[in-house]
Amino acid sequence: MSGANTPARDSRAPSVGRATLWVAAKELRAAFRDRQTTLYTIVLPIALYPFLFWCLIQASLFVQGRREHTEVQVGLAAAGDARIPDGLSDALALRPTSRDDPAADDALRRRLAAIDRVRVGPVRQPLDAAAAREWAEARSHAATEDEARDLPDAVVFVPSAASVDDARASADDNARLTVYYDSTQTASELARRRVVERIPPFVDGLRAARLPAGTPSEALEPFRLAPPRDVAPQKDQGAYLLSFVLPMLLVVMCVLGAFFPAVDVTAGERERNTAETTLLLPVPRRAVHQGKILAVCTGAIVATSLNLFALALSAGHLLQMLPRGGDVQIEVPLAAFASIAPLALLFAFFVSAALVGIASFARTFKEGQALLGPVQMVFILPAMAGAIPNLELTPGLACVPVVNVVLAFRALLNGESLPLEYAITAASLAASALFAIWASVKLLSRESLFAPERSGSGGVGAWFSGLFGGGR
Amino acid sequence: MSASPYPPRGAAPIAIEAIGLEKSFVDPKRGVVKAVRGIDLDCRRGEIFGLLGPNGAGKTTTLRMLATILAPSAGTARIDGVDVARDPLEARRRLGFLSGSTGLYPRLSPRETLAYFGKLHGLTGDALDARIEELVDAFSMRDYADGRCEALSTGQKQKVSIARAVLHDPPALILDEPTTGLDILASSAMIDFVESRRSAGRCVLFSTHVLSEAERLCDRIGVIFHGRVLDVGTKDELRERTGKTWLEDVFKELVRRAGEDPDAAAARGRSV
Repeated sequence: MSGANTPARDSRAPSVGRATLWVAAKELRAAFRDRQTTLYTIVLPIALYPFLFWCLIQASLFVQGRREHTEVQVGLAAAGDARIPDGLSDALALRPTSRDDPAADDALRRRLAAIDRVRVGPVRQPLDAAAAREWAEARSHAATEDEARDLPDAVVFVPSAASVDDARASADDNARLTVYYDSTQTASELARRRVVERIPPFVDGLRAARLPAGTPSEALEPFRLAPPRDVAPQKDQGAYLLSFVLPMLLVVMCVLGAFFPAVDVTAGERERNTAETTLLLPVPRRAVHQGKILAVCTGAIVATSLNLFALALSAGHLLQMLPRGGDVQIEVPLAAFASIAPLALLFAFFVSAALVGIASFARTFKEGQALLGPVQMVFILPAMAGAIPNLELTPGLACVPVVNVVLAFRALLNGESLPLEYAITAASLAASALFAIWASVKLLSRESLFAPERSGSGGVGAWFSGLFGGGR
Repeated sequence: MSASPYPPRGAAPIAIEAIGLEKSFVDPKRGVVKAVRGIDLDCRRGEIFGLLGPNGAGKTTTLRMLATILAPSAGTARIDGVDVARDPLEARRRLGFLSGSTGLYPRLSPRETLAYFGKLHGLTGDALDARIEELVDAFSMRDYADGRCEALSTGQKQKVSIARAVLHDPPALILDEPTTGLDILASSAMIDFVESRRSAGRCVLFSTHVLSEAERLCDRIGVIFHGRVLDVGTKDELRERTGKTWLEDVFKELVRRAGEDPDAAAARGRSV
């Protein structure tokens, strides 16, 4: 316009550096006004990852606590002419610190004595190595809890050549103490660890007591500990190994399988402008929303099944590539899969309905992905319980969704029969799935989805009004 | 007043009816927003009724309530005699609805889209196939009936959308700004289609802010502004009552009589 004043302008153009900074400032301002960028750049680092680490630490402390308070039983077996070293039972029964540490006061000593306990006994002599091995296997084969009660979790076998009076180092395997244990049994594995941990200090103590001052410690080799012998059949070892990996993968794959379909049928539909088209269908709205959840659930099940099947088939070959992997035999646990299928189906419905309900708050596909990214951790984190060695499916844990399905799957892979716990797991998952479907249908039915210009899509208020407000 | 070429009012049954229809939203920033404030209208079979108003007047909200997408806050709406609040399912069976936000499923073909809606409308087997073929021919869709909708041009998409809306041959058809975004040929085809529905004895209620469309198509026009219907009548009736010749002036006069400054209202409409 002719009357407008020409603004005063610096004759020099901004330098490249200054222009770069201005562009960067504008891009940053625009970027941080994008909810997805803000979520991943600010909210997640501040909130989610500390929370995640806190959860991991808590889980680790929980597992450590359970391990420490698990008492194991170690049987002592000895060949006919072997002499069980004096003090061996005491050495195995107590942690070295609780027994020897001069700095430990009585209270600390008592507390230390209460953890990592080993009940030693009974002692069976004479017994040869083969019989000792069978004794170690007996607990795994026990049919009932009563039968298993007095059987040891692990057996320490003392061969005839082992003696504290024998001052020579021996290369003969028979001169070594051997621990027989079952790697597929948590308590047995704990027993092995505790024995292996406690023998060397005991041997050192014997040396110190018997050798004259200044004599090299190698001069006396009372006995040594042979590499522990795993009595679990290779097939069971394979199943045990799978039982740590597959349950967690089941959850991860199910969540990932439901992820994109959930975003697609909600935010994707809004973005494609087909949400209203779908609402014009001459069927009850509930049927439309349930149909969406069913579609997402089917996607999750297909993805999970294909992933698990492919993994189970290739697990054996992958294991061969690992050190000692050849010792383990992997078999596709079809029976366990068949047993877990009903629980997995309920879980898939639960996950699918939950993800669909939450994704309904997103206006675009991109926003949906950003929203469900952190949400999937809510499922995946508890699934890590499946990799905790000492955690077993109890009636209490069977009530906790996600945790229950991984522990149930693990128990089924290990061939455990827990009818009560499975029933509770199924009931808990069914209740969770039904609630999630109800909530999801309510959220999908809220009017604000179809009048986006008049309502925000997020906020706690929107969640509650979506759940408990009126819908059609 | 010139003689109307259209059926006299009262001769045909009412297909779309709204009585005291209201809609309020709760907006986090603005509180309760009354988008529609007691709208009365009726549209008969064999009639084209135009809802004329600026952006933000409440046209789309009214049509969404009639189509059962939104629930009315108050009042009654009926499609072919069926109360949309009491029996939304039956209302949807008797209604065809088309708007800018009723897109096509991009990964389905036109034929699959029609089959999907047809099945849910209760058509099966040969009857469904025959109806799809009829629509494919009627809308000249044969060349692209089996390709994905995402690959279609705007005009082709519009044809598929219309076919989708009339697949079940509903007595009432609601079109929300049906020519927005269409080129001249596609707009012309849409206008021909709307006229064909009237010829077939169906009721068409459509919203527009394009005055020439309203001028050409509508038997009666309802002027809607600020959530209220300011007046309803044939073009001649509206001209007579306002003393204005052009529809644009008729609209401004009605807004002025409603106590609003038309220019300020237009500016406000743009900001909605």
